Amino acid sequence: MSRPWFVKRQAVRASAVQQAARLLGAVLAATLVGLLLFLPFDVNPLQAYWTMLSDAFFTVRGLSNTLNKTAPLILVGLATVVAWRAGFGYLGFEGCLLLGAVASTSVALQALPGGPLAAWPWPLLVLVCAMAAFLVGGVWAGVVAWLRVRYGGNEVLMSLMSNYLAVFLLQYLVSGPLRAPGDLPQSARLPISTWLPYLWDGGRAHAGILLALTAALLVWHTMKHLRIGYEWVVVGLNPRAASYGGIPVGRRIMLAAFFSGGLAALAGISDVLGSHHRLLDGMSEGVGFVGMVVALLGKLSAAGVAVSAFLYAGMTVGADSMQRQSQVPSSVVVIVQCLIILFVLASALLDRYRWVGWRRTATPQTREGG
Amino acid sequence: MDTSLIAWSALLFPLVVSGLQLAVPVMLAATGELFAERSGVLNIGIEGTCLLGALTGFLVAWSTGSLWAGMAAAALMGVVSNAFLAWMYVTVQASQVVVGIIFNLLAFASASYAYRLFMGGQAGVVQVELFQPVHWGALSELPVVGPLLFQQIGPFYLVAAFIVLSYFVLFHTAWGLSLRAVGENPRAAEASGIRVARMRYAAVLIGGGAAGLAGAYLVLGRVGIFRDNVVIGQGFIALAVVILGRWHPFKAALAALAFGMAEALPLLLQARGSTLPTQLLLSLPYLMTFIAISGLLGRANQPAALLKPHLRE
Repeated sequence: MSRPWFVKRQAVRASAVQQAARLLGAVLAATLVGLLLFLPFDVNPLQAYWTMLSDAFFTVRGLSNTLNKTAPLILVGLATVVAWRAGFGYLGFEGCLLLGAVASTSVALQALPGGPLAAWPWPLLVLVCAMAAFLVGGVWAGVVAWLRVRYGGNEVLMSLMSNYLAVFLLQYLVSGPLRAPGDLPQSARLPISTWLPYLWDGGRAHAGILLALTAALLVWHTMKHLRIGYEWVVVGLNPRAASYGGIPVGRRIMLAAFFSGGLAALAGISDVLGSHHRLLDGMSEGVGFVGMVVALLGKLSAAGVAVSAFLYAGMTVGADSMQRQSQVPSSVVVIVQCLIILFVLASALLDRYRWVGWRRTATPQTREGG
Repeated sequence: MDTSLIAWSALLFPLVVSGLQLAVPVMLAATGELFAERSGVLNIGIEGTCLLGALTGFLVAWSTGSLWAGMAAAALMGVVSNAFLAWMYVTVQASQVVVGIIFNLLAFASASYAYRLFMGGQAGVVQVELFQPVHWGALSELPVVGPLLFQQIGPFYLVAAFIVLSYFVLFHTAWGLSLRAVGENPRAAEASGIRVARMRYAAVLIGGGAAGLAGAYLVLGRVGIFRDNVVIGQGFIALAVVILGRWHPFKAALAALAFGMAEALPLLLQARGSTLPTQLLLSLPYLMTFIAISGLLGRANQPAALLKPHLRE
């Protein structure tokens, strides 16, 4: 009997070309699955993909939307890069984002007429809002890091739980203390002096993307050229070796967590001061989780995050307009993106197995790895 | 002071009863997850498996009209999804955290896609009949024990049996010993002739069946409708319950009961006209979990090989 056969081999690292080929293969395979998912809805899948692309990137309105969605994704993606590179398996970015939104709103509301900050000028107010958000988000993530380092807590589960705490806190605030008169649970509209400026007159694209790109540049520089970035990477790769090398592992992890939480909180700024101009319930739409997908697609590098965030945001915008036009659920896009990552992860199997074609004779020990 | 004490003790019994009802799905998922973790796999994807189980159970129960068919389909769905997860965890040896979190997103998107696909044409919210409590005759009329144990729905008794069975399998059979050995020291286990990969596959599959059933229990035993967020965090709470229960089925069941009571408290307090903000009460289970796994209450002595893939020489 002849059957396909994989031969187990010594694990080798894939070359850059091989990695690129695998990414391409994964994208193609996932896109193909996406095509299948279009079929039951009686639309031409190729045309649907084209509509998605053109609506997201080739119209001014779509591009503005895409840019506004790119900014928080980049920031959460960068947060993921910093935390995960340092070996801190944090998953609480959603919570950081929401707390960043809460903190910046709380500050910005003080600038309403009659408030203590009412006389402050525009750039200063935004700066103060950003600092408040960064600080709150950083401490929120930092506490989890501290508990892990000091008491051996499980950061993965702690951060998952902290997301729910943040959601409930936000819900409490918008339905109670910060609630503005009206039917919806949301805060009052923020004063214009705290808004992020629009990129061009009459458009909706705001400066959040500039904030995000600046942050990307800073993270890139830190990871590539600064001592602290190097130490984070060493701690992440091998904490024991780092410790022998004289790096205070626990403190480096806590610092990484602080910056990571702060970056994710800035994503909340971009949403509140840029897009919504008020605090509302359910505002993040899972960006805190999707940002991790973006970071993985970007191979945990700052530049990769910026590119993949832009593409992902575009696909989301396109998918939303597709859902409005043709009833195809926008979740198709999330499915495709997740599949890309899972396929890429699974392709690591090729490091350890080699396809040798259809063989008549089978060597016994080669089939399944332990 | 006196009256408030009486009020509180009058609260306690309904709290335990409704806490138990809320706790059963978590108990079920946690007991399944216990197998996986005892074998060295932390299955973060449990949340996604629960959701897929909830969806499958709902769709099958709705289209066939049989609740038990829904439960069976949900269990099958759980096993199938976890076959994929086990392949990623054990054979591919990808990061368990990354795979789990991506799988959860995938499951969430797939569930909302599938619901739209199958139910998109239905007007309004579609509801299925719930499981009805089993009647045990005079036993159901007993005070305290009656409402607690003898007015439950059919699947409740299966869950109870599963928990007891899990205890015996894990701690009183050779297979259970092998499984625990794999989770503590896979190298030594392999040297003594245990097939590590096979054991881990089996454990993750058991966890999948249980998680799928847990999702279906939630929908067919309590909620009656399907929403994207029907599972909200129950799978994650099951992970915490396993830790809090120190990887032991009975202790985990008790931990789950504690969570169920924390979940039931806001409803009961609200019914009594409490003015505490609901969000504060709703966040209680998550806060409890957070503290429980923070290490502040002592370090958890987890299976030594948890999260570590095993490379065969």
